[in-house]
Amino acid sequence: MSRIDPEFASEIKKYGAKDFSACFNCGNCTAVCGLTDKSVNFPRIFLRSGILGLKDDILQSREIWLCYACGECSETCPRQAGPGDYMAALRRYAIASYEPTGLTKLIFKSNPVFILFTIFLSVMLGFFLFTLKPDHEVSRWLFTVIPYAVIHNMGLVIFSITGISMAWGLITMYLKLSKTVVKSEPGKSNFVNAWREVVKELGTMNRYQTCDKEDDSYWKNKPAAIQPWFVHWSIMWGFLGLLLATVLDFILKDPATAIWWPSRILGTVAGLLLVYGTSLSITYRFKKVTKTYRETRLADWMFLLFLWVAGITGFWLEISVAFGANYLLNHIVLLIHTIISMELVLLFGFSKFAHAIYRPLALFFYFRESQQKN
Amino acid sequence: MEEKQKKERIGVYICHCGGNISDYVDVAQIRDLAKNEEGVIISKNVMFACADSNQKEMIRDIEDEKLDAIVVASCSPKLHLHTFRNVALRGGINPYNYTQVNIREQCSWAHSDTPGEASIKAAGLIRAGIKKVSFSEALENIEVSSTRAVVIIGAGVSGMRAAIDLAKMGNQVYLIEKEKAIGGNVAKWKELFITGQKGNTIIEALSKQIRELTNITLFTGATIEKVTGSIGNFIAEVNIGDEKLNLKSGAILVTTGFDSYLPTEGEFGYKNNPAVITLPEFKGLIDNSHETLLYNNRKVNSIAYIYCVGMRQTKGENKYCSRVCCTTAIQSSLTVHEKFKDIQAYHLYRDIRTYGKQEILYERSSKNGDIYLKFDEKAPPVVEPIGNKLLVKVKDELTKRRELELETDLVVLVTGLVPRSDSKQISALLKIPVGNDGFFNEIHPKLRPVETVINGVFIGGSCQGPKNISESVQSSLSAAVKINALTKNPTIFLEPIVARINFDACVWCGKCAEVCEYDAIHPLEMYGKTVASVNEAVCKGCGMCAPVCPADAIDMAQYSNNEIEGMIDGFMEKVELVAEAGDKLQDGGEEGIAMKDMPLIWRQLAGCLQGDSKSIPDLAKELGLDSELVTYNLMTMNKYSLVEADKLDDSDEYFSYKLKNIPHVQN
Repeated sequence: MSRIDPEFASEIKKYGAKDFSACFNCGNCTAVCGLTDKSVNFPRIFLRSGILGLKDDILQSREIWLCYACGECSETCPRQAGPGDYMAALRRYAIASYEPTGLTKLIFKSNPVFILFTIFLSVMLGFFLFTLKPDHEVSRWLFTVIPYAVIHNMGLVIFSITGISMAWGLITMYLKLSKTVVKSEPGKSNFVNAWREVVKELGTMNRYQTCDKEDDSYWKNKPAAIQPWFVHWSIMWGFLGLLLATVLDFILKDPATAIWWPSRILGTVAGLLLVYGTSLSITYRFKKVTKTYRETRLADWMFLLFLWVAGITGFWLEISVAFGANYLLNHIVLLIHTIISMELVLLFGFSKFAHAIYRPLALFFYFRESQQKN
Repeated sequence: MEEKQKKERIGVYICHCGGNISDYVDVAQIRDLAKNEEGVIISKNVMFACADSNQKEMIRDIEDEKLDAIVVASCSPKLHLHTFRNVALRGGINPYNYTQVNIREQCSWAHSDTPGEASIKAAGLIRAGIKKVSFSEALENIEVSSTRAVVIIGAGVSGMRAAIDLAKMGNQVYLIEKEKAIGGNVAKWKELFITGQKGNTIIEALSKQIRELTNITLFTGATIEKVTGSIGNFIAEVNIGDEKLNLKSGAILVTTGFDSYLPTEGEFGYKNNPAVITLPEFKGLIDNSHETLLYNNRKVNSIAYIYCVGMRQTKGENKYCSRVCCTTAIQSSLTVHEKFKDIQAYHLYRDIRTYGKQEILYERSSKNGDIYLKFDEKAPPVVEPIGNKLLVKVKDELTKRRELELETDLVVLVTGLVPRSDSKQISALLKIPVGNDGFFNEIHPKLRPVETVINGVFIGGSCQGPKNISESVQSSLSAAVKINALTKNPTIFLEPIVARINFDACVWCGKCAEVCEYDAIHPLEMYGKTVASVNEAVCKGCGMCAPVCPADAIDMAQYSNNEIEGMIDGFMEKVELVAEAGDKLQDGGEEGIAMKDMPLIWRQLAGCLQGDSKSIPDLAKELGLDSELVTYNLMTMNKYSLVEADKLDDSDEYFSYKLKNIPHVQN
């Protein structure tokens, strides 16, 4: 027996859902969704969970992560309840709930807080970056106020908190999702198969492509390279590639290695993908080409803009280093590049970006269960 | 009854109905058969009997051939009885010397599988029709004088509105209200949907008009004791306090309205728990509260509405939907939302029926954050007290039938409309029938929605069934127009199909009066003895009295013994049709279909059936086809006489089929 909580709907509304209370359960949204099948059924039933305040249903769901927000459901809704936007809001709610610090809640619920926090973080990061050059004027002033060891340890603490929060979030989600798993027969574990499916999905975005087909009036005759699934694919792999390249560079301890070095090539290719994907995505959102791109929240804009700027400044540096351009300008660009990249990494677990870790986990549960059902 | 002479110059018209009849019934052969019948002068085939050209031809025939009766064999008399009665009249013969035979609905359409038999049946029916018309009598419509006055029972919104129109059209109106105040239920209501007007305002406006119209007499606190007379001349005995009045009227309009359903004790906690109230009670509470909604001096923060209380019971008494309660409940919820703010509403419903424009209310309510929970009739919500509040448990159909519970300050039972407690008295008084639901019945819900089986008695508004104000007024105004059409002529013409008494044979045993549902038969002193007499204005010609008369003294006009017996004789006589080679009558099929024209699947099926008969499952297996597809195609082939059922298989479960009219099959 669950108790109905009528206050919950207004809580979800703070995460960006608007009129979902208008839902009258016709089920058109579920019917048109290209991703629903025998084992998963959404979005209608989750509108129900939100309206009735059944929090656990939402936090235990894989379904909200299976949605790629094609917007077909919102288009079909006879009551303009916006099930698509609502699913996005649920994802924000889930990210905020899994993560233990409460920071995500603040960021998602209030734009001013989000902006202030981003600026604050940029300034802080700026100061920290100066500490990497101990003989700089600003650094010397900084060290008179706070000792180097404190700054160094603070950096470590902050990165640890970020890491631990993300791990905490993942474990919380895993435990929640495990609660609703139907026990499989012993010896029939599909663990490996399920992960293989997850990797396949991340590699090919097969399910996302299904979504684009739903929206076929616009994307039907367009080349795959400019379709939303590929844009998403580019951003995702671009970012992951860059992250890997950075880590490799860090391990090799020589950021200035020649351009043909494998990690440098990886970085260049990944950077190109990232800039390509983000540019297209920004254009689509700006022009509102299809219903998917009609609603863009501030957090989405910032996120895309940060990625784009990180990519562009990265290339700027690559080119200007090669041609030995203006020293001061290069340093300013480097500062911006590093601040933004660091901010992206730091906010990873506390922003929309977190879906990159939660979605694969949800996909894993989904694939494991759908295999069991077959 | 004196005119027993048989008709000698009968015209018979057999309609093709553009193929509807002639595709199956051998109209040409039947025409020739009819021509040989006694008294038939003309027998013709016509493409469309109802066509204007044919009507003119029939009139010409009547005049040229001096016909004295006609038979049209075409469609149902419901469609064209009056058309051809009119043709007869225009041709100069009595409209009742006409008989319609239905060979479309009853022959060609019903027996399209067996055209041969359809033709035989059509021939029999036509012969019966000829026999009937040959014994038919010329009848004249019954004339009744009428009083230009109307009694309206019930001065609610329906009765008042109808009274005004009837008065304006020139009728004297007697508006009779049982209560001291007029306006019925509407007068009690506050804001009404769409216009936002108050119920009272509407009633005031109507009341003002009624006062201004000098030909409306309003009686309040008045009851009807007795009604006598019939259409055109009713006499209603009305009690007003100590005074008794006899009101003479041409017609009576019943607009007595409804009662609200009252839950039984303990139904969802009603009467056991003070915080469980009905919707009408709740409306009163809203109207009497200002700024904060207080119930028993406690602020109400949440309300749970339970819908369909006492209504739509699959096993209970009230099977119908009351139509208006969903809208009323949701509108109340919107009013509460506007007037008191921050009150959470839960709607526990079975189906929401805010039809038409009322749908906006439903949408507005959802957008306000009202929570809707759908329960099944078999698992109704349970209401339990919990501290100062109520706990409602419900199995929500929309959330995978999950058991949910909610806390609320107030439970409102959304009760529907039931027939008035005194409607049985009214029904007995006027002899108008009530349906299974207890509401007054019309003759036909679609085509004659405001007339009752009693001539001159009409119904309007929600005494007929649940209606909202618009619908109530629509029906009562429609009744007003029907009434005026009746009373505006000093003479009313009625169909002459009534019971007639042979006074010589009648010995007044009273059996006929006993079975008469309309109270049309009364004893009469005549020639020194008591005989039965029929009030022709009341008799509906149903025929209940004729068979019970031991002296066989009752005859029905248009259905006299002669006519009925003639029909039976005509139909029983054997019909023999000549079946020519290749004729559609021979094998009951269409013209032969060439094998190459058949669908592929037919050819496959025929191939499988070569030599041996097989059952549907076997055929499906052999051809690798869906058994439904095989069934469908075999049935169609059967219809065209290409295959036929052979015998039951070993398990006695399936028929096997064999080839019939396909001599050889090329693959």
